[in-house]
Amino acid sequence: MAGGEQKKGGGEQKKAGGGGKKKEVKKETGLGLSFTKDENFGEWYSEVVVNGEMIEYYDISGCYILRPWAMSIWENMQTFFDAEIKKMKVKNCYFPLFVSPGVLQKEKDHIEGFAPEVAWVTKSGESDLEVPIALRPTSETVMYPYYSKWIRGHRDLPLKLNQWCNVVRWEFSNPTPFIRSREFLWQEGHTAFATKEEADTEVLQILELYRRIYEEFLAIPVTKGRKSELEKFAGGLYTTSVEAFIPNTGRGIQGATSHCLGQNFAKMFEINFENEKGEKSMVWQNSWAYSTRTIGVMVMVHGDNKGLVLPPKVAALQVIVIPVPYKDADTQGIFDACAATVAILSDAGIRAEADLRENYSPGWKYSNWEMKGVPLRIEIGPRDLANNQEVEKDVKARTKGEMGAAKSLCTPFEQPELPEGTKCFASGKPATKWTYWGRSY
Amino acid sequence: MVSSLRLPALTSLFSPSFTRRSTVSLRRRLHLRPPLAAGFSAQSAASSPTETEDRVDSKKSGRVQDRGSTDRVITPRSQDFNAWYLDVIANAELADYGPVRGTMVIRPYGYAMWEAIQDYLNVKFKETGHSNMYFPQFIPYSFIEKEASHVEGFSPELALVTIGGGKELEEKLVVRPTSETIVNHMFTQWIHSYRDLPLMINQWANVTRWEMRTKPFVRTLEFLWQEGHTAHATLEEAEKEALEMIDVYTKFAYEQAAIPVIAGRKSKVETFAGADKTYTIEAMMGDRKALQAGTSHNLGQNFSRAFGTQFTDENGLRQHVWQTSWAISTRFVGGIIMTHGDDAGLMLPPRIAPVHVVIVPIWKKVDEKTGVLDAASSVAETLKNAGLKVKLDDTDQRTPGWKFNFWEMKGVPLRIEIGPRDVSSGSVVISRRDIPGKQGKVFGISMEPSILEAYVKDRLDEIQSSLLQRAISFRDSNIVDVSSYEELKEAISLGKWARGPWSASNADELRIKEETGATIRCFPFEQPQGTKTCLMTGKHADEVAIFAKSY
Repeated sequence: MAGGEQKKGGGEQKKAGGGGKKKEVKKETGLGLSFTKDENFGEWYSEVVVNGEMIEYYDISGCYILRPWAMSIWENMQTFFDAEIKKMKVKNCYFPLFVSPGVLQKEKDHIEGFAPEVAWVTKSGESDLEVPIALRPTSETVMYPYYSKWIRGHRDLPLKLNQWCNVVRWEFSNPTPFIRSREFLWQEGHTAFATKEEADTEVLQILELYRRIYEEFLAIPVTKGRKSELEKFAGGLYTTSVEAFIPNTGRGIQGATSHCLGQNFAKMFEINFENEKGEKSMVWQNSWAYSTRTIGVMVMVHGDNKGLVLPPKVAALQVIVIPVPYKDADTQGIFDACAATVAILSDAGIRAEADLRENYSPGWKYSNWEMKGVPLRIEIGPRDLANNQEVEKDVKARTKGEMGAAKSLCTPFEQPELPEGTKCFASGKPATKWTYWGRSY
Repeated sequence: MVSSLRLPALTSLFSPSFTRRSTVSLRRRLHLRPPLAAGFSAQSAASSPTETEDRVDSKKSGRVQDRGSTDRVITPRSQDFNAWYLDVIANAELADYGPVRGTMVIRPYGYAMWEAIQDYLNVKFKETGHSNMYFPQFIPYSFIEKEASHVEGFSPELALVTIGGGKELEEKLVVRPTSETIVNHMFTQWIHSYRDLPLMINQWANVTRWEMRTKPFVRTLEFLWQEGHTAHATLEEAEKEALEMIDVYTKFAYEQAAIPVIAGRKSKVETFAGADKTYTIEAMMGDRKALQAGTSHNLGQNFSRAFGTQFTDENGLRQHVWQTSWAISTRFVGGIIMTHGDDAGLMLPPRIAPVHVVIVPIWKKVDEKTGVLDAASSVAETLKNAGLKVKLDDTDQRTPGWKFNFWEMKGVPLRIEIGPRDVSSGSVVISRRDIPGKQGKVFGISMEPSILEAYVKDRLDEIQSSLLQRAISFRDSNIVDVSSYEELKEAISLGKWARGPWSASNADELRIKEETGATIRCFPFEQPQGTKTCLMTGKHADEVAIFAKSY
């Protein structure tokens, strides 16, 4: 692999201190996972994200290092999503990381929801700050004072901004790479409209983009729906989300959210505009975000006991070409064939590379690239060279599982028929709609 | 749509006496003021708004509120370059002031310039074998302390988090000012043998340095950048990498931003805290001050020794790795603004410009409107299909004259005007931003797609190279070759750069800084031939150095 990092591998310890010119070829993989997805899902997950070289643990609990293998997935999704929102005339910008406490507290429900998770800068160098400064847990309070300043008349609307950035939420519950971390990367879109109708429309347009990310890029089926009052965004009007299902644990997971904030923030931040009739009116706002959590969901849904399984659309590498040299065989010829194969595939727009490292055996490489979840492997050996053929192998995974206690995930937009007389399972009263319940992250 | 901005408040914020706040921002004052009055910076301890100042301010802002012909006033460059800079940033809607002192809100137009920089560099980094990743923003304080000169260099500027989720943290955390320490911590875990090298990564991130004096884009509390970090088995490879990256930056500056930077090596005094050698690209701004636009460091084994980052070489021996790090930041956007702008506002090189062409339809009579707008739309389509970034300004809220001024101020390279006569003749009028008045205006360019597209693309290429040529002439005419300290002092006092042989001591260098305000920007890679004697000591000197006042 050009450039990036290389796996150190379990066999490394055997090599330490070895001197001499003898070429040590790693045969033993030492790469297998010690946990299985079915029996120890939690441990399996922690192991697979590390062995697959996506994550590295860090000295600060709940903070993780995103390695190139994960970063490339994030970037592939970003390229798609960024292009789509640009088509919707959303513009990228960047607001500060730091929030002053006064502003943070402007919307009281919002701050109640987020206050317990805020991290505070209290010193600069040796001196204490007179007023501590917060790090953004989300940027509504950072951005909306400017919305108030910039929006004057209906011609200033709609205002559609987005930013790609990091946010900090100092949680204490189980930190899990990608799924729940104290710092994570995301995009947050914040839009303001003259009418509620426009806001409602956009909420669903964005939700559809989130669905596409999950279903088209990550190959994860999701259900679109509306959150309950209890679960909706703190300070918003209503929240829609895409919910995914993790078969092994039977738990649901919130994939991404698109909120209609109504006029709550407009009221608090005095975001008004003069409409065409000259009357003063408050704007209607949305905010929407998806984060690096998407990568965690992908790992949980598709990974198996051999490691990661990456959907081709987001995989950094779609095809790995591995030479299988044999004692007296024409090794250079095999290497050349590998390079040629990579060239052909690359020209066709496929992300392919050859693993020509001589200090690792083919067997080791098979395990390594399976662990990393590369969708296709092409092997080229002397016989293939002679026959001008290539052998393909697919890497696939399937898992299922069951578990217990649940919470409401969402009320899906697509409602199956509700026969008359159906009773709510909890209250016994007549039911009005179907809702998904399950354990969630 | 453009909203009017309150100039007095904005201009005053970033200048040394920033505490006079306009009373027009009364509504905002409630939440924006408290942190500013909290006295983070030395300046705020001084004045509080006096009554007279308030009255003056509200009078000024009264004028600003009036959406007449001139609600954007840009201070002439020659009068007050700093005020010009701040006015342009406000009027061209590039940035706004953050609620916390010294932070900045990068507005879409300014952010688009950063994205243009990112898109180009990202490709180059991948071509040169680097992979993107992301390190955490928080650094345990103990990490920073590991490399002594590094902590000495950065410690006053560190932002420390001590409270998280309502609790006091066990160890105080630093919000990264740069990531060498975290990177080394991880490199130590990932690098074992020579086969793990070279390790070449990059990250795009925000960093925080608690600066005292700030200036939008140029020096802000929090800024965006890319930082590349590499580890190598030999010093030679590390040196080669450091030079390769400064070369990537140099080409970027010349070819994309039309900024003729001078690439060279920093003096020991100016070298990055913890590096063996620092390479830099220095740009001359419109006021002839130098701006350090990008740096690349050969870190030697300084960090690897401090962090124990070792590998087993081909002979089985344990060695410390040799490292580099290199970065370009949102400061570069400030460089673009200050290199090319003029009194009408921004002037953007096409390869960086968020908008290449602005189309202004012109009509007087109502029955002319449809024809003109239709023609304008189809011209916009033509150019968009040709891959250009086009803005059609068809609002009837503003006069054409207002639009001309506005888009010139936004630095858009080309303007196309279409009036009823142009519609009948099937042609357009094209004006260049870089050539003012009649000289820059051409009539009768055919609307026929293939002709128009070719013409526009050619003009954009011309503008790109013309901006570069102008910048080169300006730079060269403001660098004086000196052979003595007297000559150097004179050149600096005239506001120019001085280039002369240098082999004197660090103390001498600092003396020059104290006496003239100028520092050694670099020992340029391009050196003149022949024997040289140091301008200060008269002894033999190997190289010439460039001295200048800087940002």
